[in-house]
Amino acid sequence: MNEVCFKNLDKKKCYSLKVYEQSGGYSIWRKILKGELTPEEIIDELKASGLRGRGGAGFPTGLKWSFMPRNASMQKYVVCNSDEGEPGTCKDRDILRYNPHAVIEGMAIGGFVMNASVGYNYIRGEFMEPFKRFEGALKEVYKAGLLGKNIGASGVSFDLHTHLGAGAYICGEETALLESIEGKKGQPRFKPPFPANVGLFGQPTTINNTESFASVPEILSQGGQWFADIGVENSGGCKLFSVTGHVQKPSNFEVPMGIPFKDLLEMAGGIKKGRKLKAVIPGGSSTPVLTAEVAMEMTMDYDGIEKAGSMLGAGSVIVMDDSTCMVATLTRLAHFYYDESCGQCTPCREGTGWLYRVLKRIMDGDGKADDIDLLLGVSDKIMGNTICALGDAAAMPVESFLRNFRPEFEYYIKHGKSMVKG
Amino acid sequence: MADIEIEIDGNLVSAKAGEMLIAVTDREGISVPRFCYHKKLSVAANCRMCLVDVEGAPKPQPACSTPINEGMKVHTNNEKVKASQKAVMEFLLINHPLDCPICDQGGECELQDVAMDYGSDVSRFSEGKRVVVDGDIGPLIQTDMTRCIHCTRCVRFGAEIGGIMEMGGTGRGEDLKIEPFLAEGIQSELSGNMIDVCPVGALTSKPFRYELRTWQMNSVSNIARHDLTGSNIVTQTYKGRVKRIVAKDNDSVNETWISDRDRFSYEGLAHENRLLSPQIKVKGEWREVSWDEALEFAMRGLTDKVLNTGEANKLGALASNTATLEEFHLLQKLLREVGSENIDYRLNIKDLENTVTLESNIKLAGLEGVDHVLIIGSNPRLEQPMINHRLRKASLSGASIDVINVMAFDFNYQLNSENIVTPNQIAFMLAEVLKLILQASNAEIPEALSKIEASDTAKQLADRLLDADNSVIILGEHMVNNPQASSIAQLINEIAQQTNSTTLNISATANSMAGDLTEFVPGKKGLDANAMLATGLKAYILLDVYPHFDFHHPAQAIKALSKKDAFVISMNSFKDEAVAQYSDVMLPIASFYETSGSHINIEGKVQSFCASVSAPSDVKPAWKVLKVLADLLQLPGFHFANSMQVTSEISNQGHKQNVSNKKLDIKVKRSVNVIWQKSPYAVDALSRHASALQATKIGQMHSASMNKATAKKLEVAENDNYLGVPVSIRESVANNCVFVNTNKPIRGEL
Repeated sequence: MNEVCFKNLDKKKCYSLKVYEQSGGYSIWRKILKGELTPEEIIDELKASGLRGRGGAGFPTGLKWSFMPRNASMQKYVVCNSDEGEPGTCKDRDILRYNPHAVIEGMAIGGFVMNASVGYNYIRGEFMEPFKRFEGALKEVYKAGLLGKNIGASGVSFDLHTHLGAGAYICGEETALLESIEGKKGQPRFKPPFPANVGLFGQPTTINNTESFASVPEILSQGGQWFADIGVENSGGCKLFSVTGHVQKPSNFEVPMGIPFKDLLEMAGGIKKGRKLKAVIPGGSSTPVLTAEVAMEMTMDYDGIEKAGSMLGAGSVIVMDDSTCMVATLTRLAHFYYDESCGQCTPCREGTGWLYRVLKRIMDGDGKADDIDLLLGVSDKIMGNTICALGDAAAMPVESFLRNFRPEFEYYIKHGKSMVKG
Repeated sequence: MADIEIEIDGNLVSAKAGEMLIAVTDREGISVPRFCYHKKLSVAANCRMCLVDVEGAPKPQPACSTPINEGMKVHTNNEKVKASQKAVMEFLLINHPLDCPICDQGGECELQDVAMDYGSDVSRFSEGKRVVVDGDIGPLIQTDMTRCIHCTRCVRFGAEIGGIMEMGGTGRGEDLKIEPFLAEGIQSELSGNMIDVCPVGALTSKPFRYELRTWQMNSVSNIARHDLTGSNIVTQTYKGRVKRIVAKDNDSVNETWISDRDRFSYEGLAHENRLLSPQIKVKGEWREVSWDEALEFAMRGLTDKVLNTGEANKLGALASNTATLEEFHLLQKLLREVGSENIDYRLNIKDLENTVTLESNIKLAGLEGVDHVLIIGSNPRLEQPMINHRLRKASLSGASIDVINVMAFDFNYQLNSENIVTPNQIAFMLAEVLKLILQASNAEIPEALSKIEASDTAKQLADRLLDADNSVIILGEHMVNNPQASSIAQLINEIAQQTNSTTLNISATANSMAGDLTEFVPGKKGLDANAMLATGLKAYILLDVYPHFDFHHPAQAIKALSKKDAFVISMNSFKDEAVAQYSDVMLPIASFYETSGSHINIEGKVQSFCASVSAPSDVKPAWKVLKVLADLLQLPGFHFANSMQVTSEISNQGHKQNVSNKKLDIKVKRSVNVIWQKSPYAVDALSRHASALQATKIGQMHSASMNKATAKKLEVAENDNYLGVPVSIRESVANNCVFVNTNKPIRGEL
């Protein structure tokens, strides 16, 4: 446990440059500055590590970095997505708070690999404390002469800027994030063109999640194979899981991929006293919900969770006990997506509001027998028809809640109240 | 781009790599529904209506933003596509009010049309619908934003074509509202195009509100004659009246856009101030008479006053620049037949010796491709909106644009430099530029330029002209009455020649090119407009002249025309007090869209049009009136049955105005210069009578701008009257300059 991003968690002032360097931090970056590492070597190492994007989509990081036209002459950018907004996720916040230097080093390495001399870290608007921590860390690095132009006459340049968001969930979508950095309204761009060709300010750009960047220095220190071996087939390394909900000790846990869910639940102190596990959302609010039985058999890796019928997402495990009303839960989730839709494209703008209103009506006791079919129909029509994944994110919970807990919805519609007491 | 083959619905289609799929399906006539896509705007891909099935792609792809690849297989109407498109249609309709019966867009609504194919007859949506509260965005565009489907065409139009982002999306999700950012509403001179691009009834024409259904009207193509573009339009008419004007596509002229002036001026046609019947003045009293009687009276007047006395040279003809090619031709022919060369359409120029050549061989579309522009004395956005649009496109594709003006104007593109100089410094500045250019090619420096020490500004202006491969020098309306206009013209011609630049003279607007082509200017022994009025003739034929707006010195002109012994025949479409004062006969003539004829635009393109409606009441087209008058005078060569026969008689003899070779005057004087410009919606009688246009901020322009120092010199303060116009003190005006922009009759001298 806690081998990569949280390596120094138990140390005093673990976020300081001193502590980070004592545990081997910036050794890779210094090697690069000395010219002892090539971009190709780094990409090979990352490919071997099996590191996949930790923001939710799970795209192999090494492969992503190799897509950038590194030899093209124009300005290129690396961007870190720290706009952690998915309900249930709080891992990046703690990386920024307790190990900001790993993010900085990871981004600098990325900048070197992709020949991008400028980076931006886009931090969620509500994260004031992590923002200040990260800014503090940046000051330290600049003072130490590890960032800037032609660093230590190495010929390598990397400047890093922090950009604080303004509270929109949609800005966690990478192209909306780019728009936001550019000073525009946070709305996703249609693709193609992809950011690797036309990204920030129209230049080639690679965007990675905070955890992905923070994992890179340790992977390169210890070797790709070392990292891959921590995890399981197809899900290399360890992963931060944010376990929240009806557990005794909600927390972030950095554990090897492939760990059984029931072990993770145990780490979080198990279900609250006298309660039974009812349902689990394993990867953040947009991933399908699972029943207790399925969840208890599941392992926490890309394939394991997919086999169980959901997605690893950002590793945000929301645990619900038997006092949970699934109608109320889905209504709350639907409200979130309704509220956070950017409004740009039709299915999401109109559909999220429709879903929420129907659920709200059911909650108000005015449900109709065919509302369940209506909800399924509407979510199906949003699914796959939108510019970005927010539409899918809004649709997926609806389908899975209704599939797994349909009787609760039928009961609510028929009786005008929840079947769950508590 | 190489030709590649793709498969659409099982058929092989060739296309260019990188093209968007929707461009290919449109060309092939394959129907793909869409709302946000517009061929002249950037791709937004937000409506999701054009989703199609691309083999290999997991999700349906929007045809508008999917570039094609070799071997791509596309299905536009399989079950998957239909399901997606129907889904999107349902979403678009749930919050749409479906108030088609009271919506002006009904019958020409893209949402209505597509809903016929993809909508469902019963809605599954039983929740409350969204209602959007409307603000007033100005006198031209009616909003009903509850109907908006957020396609953002209007937003993109403003940002990309209009050049000012006036509309935008505020709020997010369901609360996303398309509205102007500013409380002042929409002010662009091209704003009406937003009505055309809006696929639903969210933005409709305010003057046309609740008037008629589109299917009740006849659509007749016509040409807008307000400026040098000759935009192609469609006039929509009902029971003999023009009810609405929309743009007609013509890529080489106006593309898909028209100016607000072209779109909304038609309102003036139905103004109560129309002159509707022929009148003659008997013993100082106006009497309505029949056409026969009026023309007889006119003929007799001419005969008695000048023809029978052998004083044909005491007859003069003056016309406004909105006359048609045929009207210009017939009137000058009539004059020349009776033996007079006193002919002119250049009424607003003080010094007619000092005019600037109108020759230019650049095409409107070609303007987009220039790499450098030097604009002198012009606010092109308001003077020539569509030419300015081309300049904006040139600028967007990298052209550098320099400006020499007497005041800073609101350009809708990036300027390389904006040089604000007093009118009487312009010639000197150009002389500096010319000297540098001559020096650069080691040419001989003329005596007049020898003592000049060129400034840094001039050096930069010269360098850019020398560096450019394809540059154009534009002369605007403010040149017209510049005391050194002749020297400026000489200098520009010389600069253009030395730098291989093209000149583009936009100082004379409307149908001035036709006036030139038909030689509606004095012949060798003839008098020009100013000379006619100064000498005092015995008889005049005036074609649609409104002295308070058309002459450079209205009071003097009126005085000259009012002389007791002068017999004045006025042909007008609108009543005018001054006209009534000096005329002896008033003949009501057809206005825009009521007559057939031709317009010649800046690139020399002759565009002929038919009458969209017949003229009201007893009003006749001017070409017929002139023909009959000529017949009454028993002149040969007027056997025309229609205006086309007149057109075909006109040969292109292109009257080329000579640039005078007078001594260069580049002396900078310290006196205060006044530059007059009519408000863009006061340039012709029709626009002046269009109420919605007049109510806009552009239409209301009425101020004498000057800086503090000039105001002090003239001893005036903010809002004082100067030459009858309220003073506006701003530092954006050159020193020693008053820039008057007015929509009112001009008092004093232009």
